[in-house]
Amino acid sequence: MNILSMLWRNLWGGSRTMLFPARPKVGKGFRGMVRFDPALCTGCAICRFRCTARAIEFKSAKGEFTWSYDPGQCTFCGRCVEGCKTHALSQDAECPPVYLTIGDLKRSYTVARKPPAPKPAPVVLPAAGRQAADTSPGGPR
Amino acid sequence: MNLTTALARLLIFPGVLFAVPAAWFFLWVERKSVALMQGRIGPPFMQPFYDFIKLLGKTMPPRSGVGGLLMKAWPLLAVSAAAGAVGLLPVLPSSGGFEGDLILLLALLEVPSMCIIAAGFSSRSIFGEIGSAREAVLSVSYNVVFLLAIVSIAASQHTFRLEALAQLQGSPLKWLGIVAILVCLPAKLHLNPFSLPNAEQEIYSGPMTEYAGPELAMWELSHGLEWVAATGLVATLVAPHLSAWWLAALVFVAISFAVVLLLSALAAATARMAIDTTVRFYWQCTLIFAVLAISSALFMRYRS
Repeated sequence: MNILSMLWRNLWGGSRTMLFPARPKVGKGFRGMVRFDPALCTGCAICRFRCTARAIEFKSAKGEFTWSYDPGQCTFCGRCVEGCKTHALSQDAECPPVYLTIGDLKRSYTVARKPPAPKPAPVVLPAAGRQAADTSPGGPR
Repeated sequence: MNLTTALARLLIFPGVLFAVPAAWFFLWVERKSVALMQGRIGPPFMQPFYDFIKLLGKTMPPRSGVGGLLMKAWPLLAVSAAAGAVGLLPVLPSSGGFEGDLILLLALLEVPSMCIIAAGFSSRSIFGEIGSAREAVLSVSYNVVFLLAIVSIAASQHTFRLEALAQLQGSPLKWLGIVAILVCLPAKLHLNPFSLPNAEQEIYSGPMTEYAGPELAMWELSHGLEWVAATGLVATLVAPHLSAWWLAALVFVAISFAVVLLLSALAAATARMAIDTTVRFYWQCTLIFAVLAISSALFMRYRS
């Protein structure tokens, strides 16, 4: 009987369909369009590897790389954001905008590769310390 | 009934000229009311007509051989049978009819269902074959109740003339028969909870999967005409006997409309049942209606 009262309320309550440009309200954890921060990206391309919808393209060139994202192809699964170690990717908590032409929302960034970070200098232990390390139970035999 | 009256009934009212727009109207009422009950907007008023015209304009996939011919023939046969069934309904007062027209009406109402079964198997699609098998099982299950209801009403009145049955005053047997027919209509019209043959989430459109263009348009039209015939049958049995033809026509349309709304509400309120549950339901109904209908028909016959 509950379903009948629900149908009755729906019948007189009007439709819930939203007409353009109204947008539905979304919750806090909503996964929208992917945002890219070139300053944080290291060009590891793990996001392209994780993107099963092939919405992310990555082209590497000498001294730079091009990162492209097409929301028209994106399924908003969030696996690229999840896999980004440097937090260069994030997701909007709102519905993606409406677009009228294919590729309207596509964005491309060409980023200069950062010079590799200098290798940390090897730690030189003092002679007494090295001897102690060699004779310790977990040390080399 | 002379030839002119018969042709007027078949071609004008309640035949083709009335039945085809009524079919589109009932299809729209069903879609719109289900949409409103589900909190959606639903299609515009002319949508079933636009769908029909659009499908007529499409090209059909090439089909050769006997299978192709049969696939073209089934929808046409279904449309003709459904239109004929609508034409037989005794809507207008003293519109004639002939001895045994009830049997012809029942046969014509069953033809679209048989065409659907044959069409699914002719299409050689696995989805079509599954849909056809489901339709066949469903048809065997609900038709026992359906035929039992109508035949018991007819047997109690010693006639198989539709007009005589339509004029039958409110007897318990008549109402029992109407309830039995109403129980069978969702299955006959492939509505929830008995929409097994065209279960779109499981087997696409079942027997209609391989159909496109004008052939599909004919299936849609045949489905709409089935709506008019099935709801019209209930309307002719429920409607009181009226002498003014315009009032009789108005009451016929109003009752048919109410039945469409009732069936739409049922379709919106329920989910699809499994085939074994459906069959069990109809056979249990059969048992109950059989005992009630035959006992009351015998009682009425011996009393009269």
